[in-house]
Amino acid sequence: MHELSLVQNLLQQLHELAEEHRKTRVLTVYMCIGPFSGVVIDSFEFGFETLAKESQLTSEAVLIIENPDAGYRCCGCNTVIKHKHKQKTDQCPNCSETLLIPEGGDELILSRVEME
Amino acid sequence: MCDSCGCDLKPDHTHDSKMIEVHQSLLAANSAMAEKNRAHFDSSGTVVINMISSPGSGKTTLLEKTIEAVGSSIRIGVIEGDIETERDAERIRAKGVPVIQLTTGGACHLDAAQIHKGLHLLEKEKGGDQLDILFIENVGNLVCPATFDLGEHHRMVLVSVPEGPDKPAKYPKAFHSSGLFIISKTDLLPYFDFPVNDATADALRLNPKLRVIPLSATSGDGFDRWLDYLQDICRKH
Repeated sequence: MHELSLVQNLLQQLHELAEEHRKTRVLTVYMCIGPFSGVVIDSFEFGFETLAKESQLTSEAVLIIENPDAGYRCCGCNTVIKHKHKQKTDQCPNCSETLLIPEGGDELILSRVEME
Repeated sequence: MCDSCGCDLKPDHTHDSKMIEVHQSLLAANSAMAEKNRAHFDSSGTVVINMISSPGSGKTTLLEKTIEAVGSSIRIGVIEGDIETERDAERIRAKGVPVIQLTTGGACHLDAAQIHKGLHLLEKEKGGDQLDILFIENVGNLVCPATFDLGEHHRMVLVSVPEGPDKPAKYPKAFHSSGLFIISKTDLLPYFDFPVNDATADALRLNPKLRVIPLSATSGDGFDRWLDYLQDICRKH
């Protein structure tokens, strides 16, 4: 549910960027949302669809979300193992260590905005 | 489809548009405010603990019993976060320590700006500007509060025995970002299927540095370890 307040932050940031760059329409918004960011992407998209309509600046904006893979650092050999869709294996493929700590993946970043 | 970029999103759009590189976290404003809060707490020598859990895990009861147990040896203050009502603050106020209730009016978490407001209100309460430990009792929710840094020094997560042992596996972020995991209401262990070892192992897999303390505020079991922890963080601050 906090996705809605994060979308509000995003829209606020878009308004500030538009003013700074003297643009009147946001075309595309590129976000990077990691698997450990605590954000449900579907909810974020739904929030964006709902709230972006309320302003002329963002009413036609398209949201594109990049979702990087999760990483786990092995406590045995220090390798970072990448996984698709949060699927964590129980063991390090290199050294069979079972202690794997999530690393990175907490991105919640506005990467780029296309405006005109 | 447009000729310049091949996109089929807006057939009528023109390309006098500009791509602006931003690369800024959506949480940047919250993080900046959280750093200000932390600096403020540091200057007053107050250790701040952010308590995260589902509704009904026993956060307020733990605080009531803690205030009773430490007496005047540790000066405690509390910021209560709830969607509605002053009830939790009234319970804490009855124990005689400074407390402020923040009602979020529907929002599912506290953010750093609310805490900033709260800490200045708390300082107007009697004794509120001279605290050893400030507890922030976050809105009961194991999901959203985990994303927002409030400027705390320590974050703890609570799971009560009736909730079941699978919370660490289901809500990893709260456990990954916390330093202390309290398993509360252990006096109910005989009546619920809650393998403490499994819950502990799940939590440690997410965060090997996590300290785990099973306790019951009702029976007092495990309470010594909790009080030791509090004294420890006060000493180290």
